[in-house]
Amino acid sequence: MDRYQCLEMIGEGTYAKVHKGKIRSNGEMVALKEIRLDSEEGAPSTAIREISLMKELRHPNIVRLHDVIHTPNKLTLVFEYMDQDLKKYMEQHGNRGALGPIVIKAFMYQLLKGVAFCHENRVLHRDLKPQNLLINRKGELKLGDFGLARAFGIPVNTFSNEVVTLWYRAPDVLLGSKTYSTSIDIWSAGCIMAEMYLGRPLFAGSNNHDELMKIFKVLGTPTEETWPGVSKLSEYRKDFPMHPPRNLSSVLGMVDSFGLDLLQHMLTYQPHLRITAKDALNHVYFNDIRGYANLQQQQILQQQQQQQAAAAAAAQMASVPPPFPGQQQAAQQASVAQASAAETTTAATTSVGSTGVSIATIHSQPMSSQAPSQQQQGLPYQVVQMQQPPQQPPHPGMQQQPMYSHHQVPQHH
Amino acid sequence: MAAESKLSLQNALLTLEQLQHTPSMQDGFTEQQEDDMRQMGCHLIQSAGILLKLPQVAMATAQILFQRFFYQASLRKFAVRDISMGSIFLAAKVEECPCRMRDLVNVVDYLCKTFKRLPTIEPLALYGHEFYEMKNAAVIAEMQILKKLGFNVHVQLPYGIMVNYLKVLNLTDHPTIPQRAWGYLNDGLRTNVYICYQPPTIACSVVWLAAREAGVPLPTNPPWWEVLDASLEDVENIAGHIKTLYYRSLPISTLPLRIEQVEPWLVSQGQ
Repeated sequence: MDRYQCLEMIGEGTYAKVHKGKIRSNGEMVALKEIRLDSEEGAPSTAIREISLMKELRHPNIVRLHDVIHTPNKLTLVFEYMDQDLKKYMEQHGNRGALGPIVIKAFMYQLLKGVAFCHENRVLHRDLKPQNLLINRKGELKLGDFGLARAFGIPVNTFSNEVVTLWYRAPDVLLGSKTYSTSIDIWSAGCIMAEMYLGRPLFAGSNNHDELMKIFKVLGTPTEETWPGVSKLSEYRKDFPMHPPRNLSSVLGMVDSFGLDLLQHMLTYQPHLRITAKDALNHVYFNDIRGYANLQQQQILQQQQQQQAAAAAAAQMASVPPPFPGQQQAAQQASVAQASAAETTTAATTSVGSTGVSIATIHSQPMSSQAPSQQQQGLPYQVVQMQQPPQQPPHPGMQQQPMYSHHQVPQHH
Repeated sequence: MAAESKLSLQNALLTLEQLQHTPSMQDGFTEQQEDDMRQMGCHLIQSAGILLKLPQVAMATAQILFQRFFYQASLRKFAVRDISMGSIFLAAKVEECPCRMRDLVNVVDYLCKTFKRLPTIEPLALYGHEFYEMKNAAVIAEMQILKKLGFNVHVQLPYGIMVNYLKVLNLTDHPTIPQRAWGYLNDGLRTNVYICYQPPTIACSVVWLAAREAGVPLPTNPPWWEVLDASLEDVENIAGHIKTLYYRSLPISTLPLRIEQVEPWLVSQGQ
């Protein structure tokens, strides 16, 4: 604990207090999440899940767990420091909470990257909401708070359906399904995307039933025709008021057609038809961000050459606060549009270049996952076959991947 | 790219070195003594889970945590009873089927008494000294397990995989094979196979063993286990390990459950 200096409190979560902190040796900022240990109940299950999963998940769009400090009556989790969460960001930077389309796209892309990585590693987040998406001043968005997350896949069993804050809860879970999977996080992501456009939650229900009604009023009341099997779910009622599905554009008029299409696929009733995070990332809505990232890659090379010369100028601009993504994006777009002519528009381009990472450059970097090696973190075991070591090293990919597809079979029966 | 990243949360496996030089053996236990203690701990966990009506996945997870723990710590320093309780308590949280501390303590106390052939009529006084002592021991054990295992408490189990293999091999309706294979998975938790092999290999092995004992021939051209990515050597090895369980009865009434019983027991064993 001596390695960290505890500063002001920045939040109080469901089961923990979060303080801002500083690493004494190098001054780097961290977030210190203190979890009190109950003498009756031992370690909170949320903490166990959060630590056991987050130490395995290393990705640019997932908040990094640096360290766990154990003292007799509390656990302190040391996270990388993030400036604020998406909810506060929307309040501060939005127009009545609503964000601009470019920022939304950049955030959604990063959100889905993080979710895709979780799902690839068979982890469900189960509690995606603006308060759990953290943003730093580089415009990076990262998933945080894995207190409700869980590993899934093996074995097939039913999970608790008391997960995900009500407003972001998938209709299948609201209707009592306990066999949900990755699709549950996609619904939440869809709700968050709509919320960024609207400036307020899309389905702000006050209880389970009200939440369903809010959803049905927009997407229509599901029936056996539109959602085979829905009537078998435990919370389904025959006397649900019938609403016809409305066009999403009537609620979200400000969203462009590609965005609406993506939303439609994320807010699909039937869980198995809901778009996956991976497919969502390849959706045409993100075409420009991907193309832009490529373009940006070439730009970076040029910028790097300019950077040294620009460093002096940037130092003079140190008093200018680092731009937030909206401005950054705009500035960058301008710089791209002006392409080579940008050499002379020093103010905008150099400040972007010197503050380092823009949203686009984040994506243009390979999203290396740094597959968590078992040897790291001082794990007790190593992945080595015992007894008569095989001639070839065990091939985890080969062993695991086919398992997964076999394993999926009974889930649908 | 992320798509090529290794799946995390795989079961951690032991090295030969870790397997041959366990903390308990370095602390004066013989291999047989350690084996017996581990088997008793797993027996305690499985029995307690049944009485607590926990799902089998929770019992399985608890037994694997228990086994892993004693590759990090010595049986001379941590009591089988306490670590068993801690494992159940922790596994129930990980598998989302929490069990009440009061029930856990009572059930474990009852089982410990039956192991020792003591009378079991009297339950523990709810707020008595003994109850508190056991409850605290369980909470401390849980934290010890978390610490020693570096919070690496996610366990992958072979049950679901085995059911799929039975389907693939058209064995689900066979009168004995599914039940027998399932039983081998449960009993195998008392051996070290779950910390030496990944779940799919174990699933292969129990199906192979159960089918062999039922005299049911399975495809050999190509061998079905190879299609499922397991080698015959591993399959036979696991089956052999599990079968050794049935050749020796556990001297359960003499084994030490609490830490203060360990030293006298080792002395009586001629150590």
